[in-house]
Order: sequence, then structure tokens, then C-alpha cells
Amino acid sequence: MASRDNTIKYTGKPAKVLQREPALVIEWPRSLAHRHTYGKLSPFFKGLTEGKLLATRCVNPECGEDRLWLPPRADCPDCNQPMAWEELPQPAIGTVHTYARVEYTGTGMELATPYFQIDVELPGVCTIFKGYLVYGTPKIGMKVKACFRTEEPTNTILDIYWIPIEDEVDVNC
Amino acid sequence: MIVLKEGNLRIPKWSRKVFAVAGGLTNYKKFCPEMKLEEQVMASFRQMLEDNDLKLSPVEVKGLINFLACGNFSDHFQDQLLCEAKVTDYLGLDPMYDIGIKTGGATGGSTVLAAAMAIASGYADVALAVGWERMSEVDTRTGNYYIANAACKDFETRLSRIYAAYYAPMAVRFSWAYNLSEETRAKVAVKNHLYAYYSPYSQQPGKYAIQDILNSPMSTYPLRFLECCAMSDGAACMLLCDEKTAYKLTDKPCELFIAGGSHTLRVADRRDMEIPLLPNETPSMYQGLRKKEGQRWPGFESFAAARFAAYFAYQMAGITNPLEELDLVELHDAFTISDIQTYGDIGLRPYGQEPDYIESGDAYFGGKCPSNLSGGLIGTMHAVGATGIFQGVECLWQIQGNYDRFHGDPKIWKSFGKEKPRDWESLQVPNANQALWVSHAGVGSHVTVGILRKAF
Repeated sequence: MASRDNTIKYTGKPAKVLQREPALVIEWPRSLAHRHTYGKLSPFFKGLTEGKLLATRCVNPECGEDRLWLPPRADCPDCNQPMAWEELPQPAIGTVHTYARVEYTGTGMELATPYFQIDVELPGVCTIFKGYLVYGTPKIGMKVKACFRTEEPTNTILDIYWIPIEDEVDVNC
Repeated sequence: MIVLKEGNLRIPKWSRKVFAVAGGLTNYKKFCPEMKLEEQVMASFRQMLEDNDLKLSPVEVKGLINFLACGNFSDHFQDQLLCEAKVTDYLGLDPMYDIGIKTGGATGGSTVLAAAMAIASGYADVALAVGWERMSEVDTRTGNYYIANAACKDFETRLSRIYAAYYAPMAVRFSWAYNLSEETRAKVAVKNHLYAYYSPYSQQPGKYAIQDILNSPMSTYPLRFLECCAMSDGAACMLLCDEKTAYKLTDKPCELFIAGGSHTLRVADRRDMEIPLLPNETPSMYQGLRKKEGQRWPGFESFAAARFAAYFAYQMAGITNPLEELDLVELHDAFTISDIQTYGDIGLRPYGQEPDYIESGDAYFGGKCPSNLSGGLIGTMHAVGATGIFQGVECLWQIQGNYDRFHGDPKIWKSFGKEKPRDWESLQVPNANQALWVSHAGVGSHVTVGILRKAF
């Protein structure tokens, strides 16, 4: 006869019932952390925490694209050869290509709303670089300067932000 | 700079003709607890089999299917990996092979493309394109965060966590470059909410004035909530066949052409390139297009993926003048701005003159080439994996002359717990011969253009 001494115990937590009509709906909790690598782009994100803006350039003399890439890529999409790192001279001054004022966002947003997201053209860069303006109101064509969160860095893209450079006082942030 | 060579520009060619014969939809809702996803798919499958005048019984039609293309955008939303297997089993189509298709907002279009390839290649004589999404699995803000994972995780997602914030910069830039007013954008929203009012399937119907749109709460400036698509639960399916089987199944088959284009996920990475010209365009048309500083094509103004999809699809179908030859279009109006941007990409207007398609009246019912008579994504639905199939089905029903049957039958309204409006109007386009639909993902990362042509 089977022993009942070792019956299987329920170790979970009963599902919370959210509604019973017209159908039974329960809560299914999800709490997960992913391991996300910056891979070959690690120098870029490390650079932000040190106040550096790093881009990549294709050094293959036969490749047709000789401008910088920012966001950087480790490999050139045109000739598929590895690219080389290059630090942008400071202050890094760019031009607002376009912008948006974010008022409603999804779960987990780390910037208080409303805030301005800006897309920045940089000299010698073939792409445009998305970021946020930490104060002020952007307009297309406005000059902005890159600043870095070197103290208590987030270790994310939020470690770079932009300020308007209308006034001299802001040039040394 | 992206330079295209001969092989890149080869026009896709079916090995044999492909036809669409029937479609099915569901009641699109923000939250549908009364049905699970496979149960919703069943609802659309039943409508497809039972209400499309097929000349064989549902069981006989099922006996002809030997391939399924299954579209669903996000495992996050379904919270069920391999739900294709659950759906195929639930529809009673085991052990036919199904392939899951995932290309973001263009999933529905890609699903139809995959099913069409099965027919064209001879893999199948009858294939089912079926798609679904359960966006209510999480609350709205979490849903928006999930969708924002379809932006670049490293360089974009943390800067917004909502998709409106990736389209809003395009709206700002487009308005600056091509003189688009907020009122024109609002007119798109007014039109599509209104057309949704005549559809029993719609989630966001409404009779709004331009000022109502402009007064609605802001999502990301300059886009208001009433300019944004629905987040829906729902499903859709479409039945594709070879020529012989198509005429065996229906007296009203439509020939199908469909092709796609892709472009990098980050809009800001889209370098200036040469514009591939549509059959109705000449190089001189675009000599002055990049007249403002910093302008590039496609840049933030246009979608190269949509242009390429149209470039291929028009040549597959032999269309030389889209505005003249298309009787209606269903566009992916995820946001008013993306709808407007697409008018240039698919040649309804030359680039730079997109707002005129609305302002001229061409885009309205009764106009030269009405768009989104279904109510589109703004008015009717965006259950992502189903959307590009829903749009194709609405085109099919228009060409078959079945708009009234599928939108005006009080029994359909009643079965969804709705009452057909007393002032309901038919949006059947008289003698519709040819229709186009655009299925679009990301901020233009994947786009398909499908064309249905009357073949009866």
C-alpha cells in the first residue's frame, strides 16, 4: 500500500482572481531580469561614463562609406569589414534634426515626463543620433552640446544628454 | 550609401498565379476576456468558411488546406510560445505544417506573403493565412513598453518606451519639410474614426470634428491620442489558392500580388540614397526635393521599405499609374503621420505633395481612390498579427461587392453585442476592380504592399 507520508506539497501562491464574469481572469505575475550584453559596443557605453563620445569608422580603403557611425557599429554594413573606434572632439556640438515632446510613456520610463527627445546631426557622421534635451525647448536647426552622466552613471544610453548652447555659460557643463 | 544592383532590384515573379477567395474577421476589442486567442481565431475561421459563398462545405474546404502561415507579432503579448501549434490543432488542421511569421506591425502582410509563396511555388494548392494578437494580456502602459522593444534596445527604447515617440519626430520633421498642417493630420483621424463607425468590427468608432482631434490629450507631441491606432485583441484569416482551385471554390476570386521591403530599425540610421522611381515617376520630379538643410531620403520623412514594396508589387501586377488604376487602398494608419508619409511612398502623390491626397478629396469615399474604408488601425483595430490580414480581407470584400453583407447585416452587429447605427451608410465602392493594402512595421522597418485584382 502506498504511503501518504510523502504527499506532494503545493509550494506556489494561489493566482489572484481579477474577474469572474463573463470569464475567469487570473493574474499571471512575471518578474524577470535578462542578461543584456553590449558586446563589441562596450567601449561606447563605457566611454559615456567617462565623458567620452566614441563613434566608429570603416577603415577599409575600398569601402564607399568613410564617414563616422553614431550609434556606432562594430562592423560596416556596406563592406562587412570591422570598423575602428574614434573619439569625437569635445565639445561635441550638433544640430537638432527633429524632436518630440514625450508626455505619455510606457512602463519603466526613467525620465520624468514631459521631456524632449531630440535627433541630432553631428558633423562628419553619416547617421543621426537620438538623445534627450535636459532643459530648454528644441527647434529644428538649433545647436546643442553633448553632456555626460559621469557621476552615478546609469550604464545605459541615458548617460549622454544634450543642452542648448545659446548661452556661453552652458558650454562647460 | 546603399547602392542597389541588378539582383537587388529583380522583380519577384510567381511560378504560378495566386488567388484570394475568402476572409474572416472578429469583433476587435481592447479586452476580450470571454475568448482565448485560439477561440478568437476560430471565430474568424468560421466566418471565412461559412459566410463567403464558398462552393464547398467547411469540412471539404478544410480537406484542401495543406499549409498555414501563422502571424503573431509578440510572444510577450501571447505569453505562450508556439501558439501556432495550439491554433492549428484548435482549427482542426493537424498535422498540416504551420510556420510562425513575425515582422512586427507588418506581420499580417508577411503572413499573406508567406502563404502566397506556398501557392506560387506549388507547395500548396490551398493555404491559410491566419493572424492574431492578444494585447490585453498586460495593462496599456506595459503594452506600450512591450511594443517599444521593437525599437533599438540599446539606443532608442530607454529614450521613450512608447511607439508614438518614434513617430512624433517624423511628424515634426515632415511638417517642417513639406508644409503639413495639424488640421490635415486631424482630417485623417476624423475620416478613419468615421469609417469605423460603419463597421461592426471596429473598436474606436466615432464621429469627430477636426477640433475634437486637436483637443484630445497629447500622447507624444505633436501626436494626440485620437491620432493613434487601437491596441486590440482579435484575429483574421484569408484563404489563398491556385487558379484551378480558386474557381472551384468561388465565383468571385481575386488575383493576388504581394511583395515587401525592409529598412534598418533606427530611423536615424537611414542614410541618404537614390529614390527608386515608380512607373509613373520621372527623375526630374525630385530634383528640388532635398531643398532644405540636412534633408535626406528617406530620412525622417519617408519609408524606403514602403517604396521598395510598392516598386516590386506594382511591377509584379503591371500597374503603371496607381492613383488611376487602384479603386481603393487600405493603409497602415498606425498614426496619422505614418498614413500621410505612405502616400508618397506608394505613389498616390509625388514625394513632398502627400497632404494633397487628403486635401483634394481623393482619399474619401466617393473620391478617386478612397483609403481605409474599413476604419483602419485608428478607427477599427490593431491586433498586430491580424492587422495586415484584416486589411487584405476588407479589400477582398470590396472587390467581391460584399461590403454591405459583412458590414451592414444587423445580425453581425448583434452577435458582437452592438446595435447597427440608424444612420449606417454603405461604403461599398461601385465596381471596385483593384485594391491595394500596406502592412507596415516598426518605424518603417518592414513593409508589404499587396494588390488584389478582380478575376471574375
